This record gives sequence, structure tokens and C-alpha cells, in this order.
Amino acid sequence: MSVVPNMPKSWREETKPHKFCPGCGHGLVLKALGEAIDELAIQEKVVFGCDIGCSLLSWDFFNCDSVQTHHGRTTPVVTGVKRARPDRICIAYMGDGGGYAIGAQHLVNAAARNERITAILVNNCNYGMTGGQMAPTTLPGMKTQTSPYGRDTDSMGYPTQGPEMVAAIAREGAYVARGTVANVRQLKRYIKSALQNQIDGNGFSFVEALSGCPTNWSTNAQKTWEFIEKEMPQYFKVGEIKTPGKKGE
Amino acid sequence: MTTNAYKMKQVETTKSVFTIFTGLCKGCGLCIEKCPTKTLHWSDTLGVYGTPSVEPKENDNCTACGMCALVCPDCAIVIERKK
Ligand SMILES: Cc1ncc(C[n+]2csc(CCOP(=O)(O)OP(=O)(O)O)c2C)c(N)n1
Ligand code: SF4
Ligand code: SF4
Ligand code: SF4
Ligand SMILES: [Mg+2]
Repeated sequence: MSVVPNMPKSWREETKPHKFCPGCGHGLVLKALGEAIDELAIQEKVVFGCDIGCSLLSWDFFNCDSVQTHHGRTTPVVTGVKRARPDRICIAYMGDGGGYAIGAQHLVNAAARNERITAILVNNCNYGMTGGQMAPTTLPGMKTQTSPYGRDTDSMGYPTQGPEMVAAIAREGAYVARGTVANVRQLKRYIKSALQNQIDGNGFSFVEALSGCPTNWSTNAQKTWEFIEKEMPQYFKVGEIKTPGKKGE
Repeated sequence: MTTNAYKMKQVETTKSVFTIFTGLCKGCGLCIEKCPTKTLHWSDTLGVYGTPSVEPKENDNCTACGMCALVCPDCAIVIERKK
């Protein structure tokens, strides 16, 4: 019997196995994105932008036009592509460090201008690629390379609520949601809705995905799922936050 | 369209044909944790990084639910339900 791997059609098979660590959530987010691209039949139109950070390991991930940008600058690069070629479906793919720290101004202003692009942000509670430093999304008390005694909320504040921030800034027509790799089917639905929102020309669309970084968390599979399913949702609420035509859930 | 012929191994269970593409499996174990019937285990067959891959062991238990395939970040598992 000849069986082939069940990869999304839009994945570029010759670059698989992909470059992410064993158990990395990026693979699951990109699986959900790949299936969403397939189901919407938009592969030929997609321009995929990835950031610095582990997201850049996806520079050759899809059989789609792809561009890799400077840290935090994926949103404006992809915005430029969309303005020059409004017929393209433009996706900015980034990490939490890229989107909420060094690229926060770009995310905020793209949302404020209601740019017709789709931003997808992988929240793994740390700067993964550089070895696990504290990020804006690091949980209170969570130990990282740069918060060895745990994040102290007195001096370092609380985790950034990205989608809530974007939803507060974005105008009517925007789509904002937070999914999780613990529910890939739901995550795919959110990403599909975000892309559909761009196709319909409604406005900005943004999906944050709660995701695992077993390498820097130093977690085995059981502890990785536990952190994603039990710890992260205490600060990050999963669901649709803003949809065109109606106010959040 | 398949351009890569990944190394693979098949295990027949009572209700499913379980295919593990060892050429894709990185041995992360996410699938083992999510198998609702606890029938997935580490295999003696190594994956792409030389770490154990996975296979179902209590053959009657696999329900062909496909959860393991769904949560694999590397698309290393294919589950076919037997008729
Ligand atoms: C302007 C700039 N500042 C800092 C860096 C160093 N740097 C590379 S990756 C990275 C962190 C990425 O973290 P995140 O965006 O959360 O992505 P992850 O790797 O966790 O997916 C940093 C700070 C850089 N490349 N460019
Ligand atoms: S360091 Fe973390 S985010 Fe980066 S590839 Fe490895 S597991 Fe994924
Ligand atoms: S198909 Fe379901 S029951 Fe069978 S090994 Fe996979 S997760 Fe377990
Ligand atoms: S989830 Fe995939 S890569 Fe990880 S151990 Fe299971 S089959 Fe291998
Ligand atoms: Mg990160």
C-alpha cells in the first residue's frame, strides 16, 4: 500500500522535515495555516512574510512567494506588498518578541490604519531563537534566562495582552482572535476567518496562537502540553475577540 | 505530489493501519501524550534525529481516531481506518 505524508498541499515538501525543534508549536501553527490556505484555494496569491526569531525558519516552508524581514518589521514589509499588489493575500508571520516588543509600533499602527493584511503571531512566552530570554508575554513567576528568579510583576509588569490591544485599536472591519496549538482545528478556523477577512477587504486581521517552545522551556511532552493548556490560558483567553459587524464574544 | 521518499514503518492494529514516517518523526512525544487510549509508545525504530519514533503497541486499543496525526507538528503519522 502506498501511503504519503498528509502534509498541506501548500507546504513545500522538499524542505521537510522542517527546521523547527522537536515538538515546537511553530510546526502546528504552520500546519493550520497551510490547511487554511489549501481550503481557501489561495496558494497562488499568497505572499508570506516571516520575521527574525524562530519564525524565520519558515522562509522556505511554503510553495508560496516568501520574504524574510528584519526583526519586528514583517508587518510593514507585508503592508507594502499589499499596497503595491492589492490582489495578493499578504501574511505577516512573527513571534511574540517580534510583534509585542521590537515590532509593537508596527503592529499597533497597522491595526490603527486597518491595513488589509493578516498578521499571525506565535506566543511562546519567550524569545525562542536567542535562547529563551524573557519576553513581554512571559508569565508572572516564570523563569527564563533573563528572569532566573521568575518574572517579577513589580519591576517587569504583566504579560502583554496582544489581541486585546489590537482589538481596542482596530476599527470596524477588523478580525482579531486568540487560538492555541492545543486545539488545531479551532486555530485553523480562526486563521481561515482572518484570511477570509482580508479576501473580503474588510480590514486588518490578527490571530495570536498560544504555542510551545519545549527547547527553552526545558519541558518533556507532558509538561509542554500542561504549560500550554493550563498555565498560559490563565493569562491569555482563547477565543474570537473582534469580528466584523459585531463586537467580541 | 511526492518528491521525497521518507523512511516509513507500518503497524496494523485491529481498527487501523498506522503509518509512521520515521524520516519525518523528531521524537517529540506530543502524540503519545494526546493518544486518548494510551496505546502509542516509543518505538525501537529511530526517527530522523536518531531518537525513538513511535508506534501503537496494544493493538486492540487504537480507535483510529487520528488525534496523534492531528497534533504531530511534522505530519509524520497517517492513520487509515480499516473498513
Ligand atoms: C533589531 C534586532 N534586535 C534583536 C535581534 C536579536 N534577536 C533575534 S531572534 C530574537 C528573539 C525572537 O523572539 P520571538 O520574536 O518571540 O520569536 P521566537 O523565536 O520565540 O519564535 C531576537 C531578540 C535581532 N535579530 N534584531
Ligand atoms: S527554540 Fe523554541 S520556538 Fe524556536 S524552534 Fe526550538 S522549540 Fe521552536
Ligand atoms: S489513532 Fe487515536 S487511538 Fe490510535 S494511536 Fe492515534 S491517537 Fe491513539
Ligand atoms: S508528534 Fe510527530 S514528530 Fe513528535 S513523536 Fe509523534 S510522530 Fe514523532
Ligand atoms: Mg517567542
